[in-house]
Amino acid sequence: MQLTGMQNTLGKSQSMSDRTATVSRLEEVVSTSEEFDRIVSQALPMLLDRATGYTKRFLRETGQWNDDIEHEKFALRWGAEYLERFLVCGRSEVPCRPLFLFDSLVAKQHSKPEPFCYHPDLLRPLGRFVDGLVARAVVSRDALIAIYHHSYGWGPGEVIAVTGLNGLESQRIYKNFRRWRDTGWQRTMDEMGMTKAELAELGNQQQRHRQRFNSEAEQLIRVAQAHYRKSEPDHYPCLSRSQWGEMFTQGYGCDYRIWHLALCLDCMQTAWGLGSSGSAVGEKPRLELQVRP
Amino acid sequence: MGQEEDLELYRSRLLESLNGRSSRSLRNASDPIQVYINERRVGELEGRGIGATLQVQCVDHIDTVQLRTEEGILLGGLAAPEQGFRTDRLRLSVDTIELCVHNTAQGGTLSALFSPAPSFWGRVWKGIVDVTDRLTARRPDTAIAYGGAYGMRTVAFTQALLAIAVVGLVADRATIWMTPEPTPSPVVQTASLPASPPAETARLEQQLDEVARMQAKIGEALASQQNGIVQLHQAVAKLSSTQESVASSVVMVKEEVKEEVKEELEKRLEAVGRETDRTTRHVANKGRIEQEQLEAAIHSLTADNDRLSKEVAGLEENNQSLKAKLQTAVANVPKSADPSPERLLKMADSMQGNQQPFLFWVTFSEGTSQESIDQWVNGMKGHKGALNEGWQEVRIIPPPVPPDRFLEQIRGEKIIKAARINQ
Ligand SMILES: [Zn+2]
Ligand SMILES: [Zn+2]
Repeated sequence: MQLTGMQNTLGKSQSMSDRTATVSRLEEVVSTSEEFDRIVSQALPMLLDRATGYTKRFLRETGQWNDDIEHEKFALRWGAEYLERFLVCGRSEVPCRPLFLFDSLVAKQHSKPEPFCYHPDLLRPLGRFVDGLVARAVVSRDALIAIYHHSYGWGPGEVIAVTGLNGLESQRIYKNFRRWRDTGWQRTMDEMGMTKAELAELGNQQQRHRQRFNSEAEQLIRVAQAHYRKSEPDHYPCLSRSQWGEMFTQGYGCDYRIWHLALCLDCMQTAWGLGSSGSAVGEKPRLELQVRP
Repeated sequence: MGQEEDLELYRSRLLESLNGRSSRSLRNASDPIQVYINERRVGELEGRGIGATLQVQCVDHIDTVQLRTEEGILLGGLAAPEQGFRTDRLRLSVDTIELCVHNTAQGGTLSALFSPAPSFWGRVWKGIVDVTDRLTARRPDTAIAYGGAYGMRTVAFTQALLAIAVVGLVADRATIWMTPEPTPSPVVQTASLPASPPAETARLEQQLDEVARMQAKIGEALASQQNGIVQLHQAVAKLSSTQESVASSVVMVKEEVKEEVKEELEKRLEAVGRETDRTTRHVANKGRIEQEQLEAAIHSLTADNDRLSKEVAGLEENNQSLKAKLQTAVANVPKSADPSPERLLKMADSMQGNQQPFLFWVTFSEGTSQESIDQWVNGMKGHKGALNEGWQEVRIIPPPVPPDRFLEQIRGEKIIKAARINQ
């Protein structure tokens, strides 16, 4: 069993015997979803460490590991991600032996061509911020809409104008913004392990070296977008200006516009000005990374 | 702060959030539910209204299905077997979502059915149909006094359409993913089940049972929605048969009708509110549902009521634009001409803001590459839907020509082998 240096030494022997008991309970067959929930929820720390351990091993074996806190955090983050999916989907697999199911779920993830977006620069604070934001956008519409704010500094009105949305969709954008400000941003920062100090430092860099900060951010966001765009519906490819134009003027493809333009800097340039019907079109937007929601 | 402490803090934070999962499962009732297959977003399920359904057909096997809120919170999901069925019922506070995944060698199908807290929307729906009935049947005398009943009726009908559109009961309003039931019958599915040992049979039978029940439910939900639409169509038919002219005073008449519709809707809302209170008390007395769920129920019902009142305000706004459009229309019609009810109807349609997609099925000529198929679909500004025995479903915005003419046109294209409207 892999134990990381962060375990409290005093509690170690205690936790070792606890763990053995937990493991053997997880190896037995559970036959109902309720039983699954109960057994698994008692074993969260052990399962988190197990998934984290597997992820570390995967990174080592694929030459992507380094002994530093950034890599530790990365492995922990994905460990938690796998565990969450296991909690939700595993209960539909009863009857099963939870531990074996868990191992096979993690193995399945690691057998995918690119299980996660790994890039050394994405492990440093700025990269982690960008990676966390774009990764979250894939599973959260609030975060997706927030990308417009964090990339270009826009508010809801600008997002609605740029993407050319109608009344019903507009209301949703305001809601997305509100929830992101209220809880979404903080939750995402927590889940990425961004500390207050790191966030403050990012704010500093942004103030003092604006250009360098933004050009670095642009490189990173391109890496992240290219990876996470694969989670878009597969009939949402990049389009030409005239194709975007048709979509805007005829008012279809609402989701298409929202999703793709948030996750593609290039298409934002291509489609710029199509949405703001009639109003004067300013200069094409440049990436101006915003740290705060 | 030391790195080890930083890391330990991060770990405990992640654990905390995993632990807190179950207690955060409360969902704002009016928000759509995001649906993911194999961690890829495939569409959304209206988180309100009776029997919203989502059907997705994939070329690949479906490994996992996940449901998330707009915040990204994982509400539930399931993992599916390589071959065969898996069904599951997820409870989201008072609502339930039934999922059915069916994997075959040809790929996977997901059906999701949303059932809200019992019968709340059923009552609202009935209420609106009642209002429509009464308004379309009523007060010919006053209307004649204003110089023509038909303008008024048309307007009342338009109002009803708007009301239904905003309440969100028109099933496939905005989502291109919702399709009316291309699922094969459970009987056929039995034949395609992999051979299984006797012990498995009982479980499979039970699952089949669930599949059949769920399909029946989807059918019912669709039927009830279609029923409403049929009634509206009948109202239109009646109008068209008697339509003679639009009086110049149509706008005046409309003003009055507008007030009436609004009043009716407001009365309805009140009634619904009272019903809600009663239902809630009833539920509380029974003590069947736990405190948390009850709170969620109240929250969701209040939110829906809230939304309805807002939408009455929205209706008011739409009225203004309806008025403007009608004025232009009336002004543009030569006084002697006979404006067709279809035109007014089209206006009503366009006011709903989103046209229903036009669906058709095609097969492609031998040896056509996937790429040229995609190009062809893109060229039509269309989306591909289900694939069934070589027939590809395509959705486009409704063509400007009648469906038959349209099919003739595309049959003439080289890439197309055959085309038809129904599956
Ligand atoms: Zn693009
Ligand atoms: Zn099925």
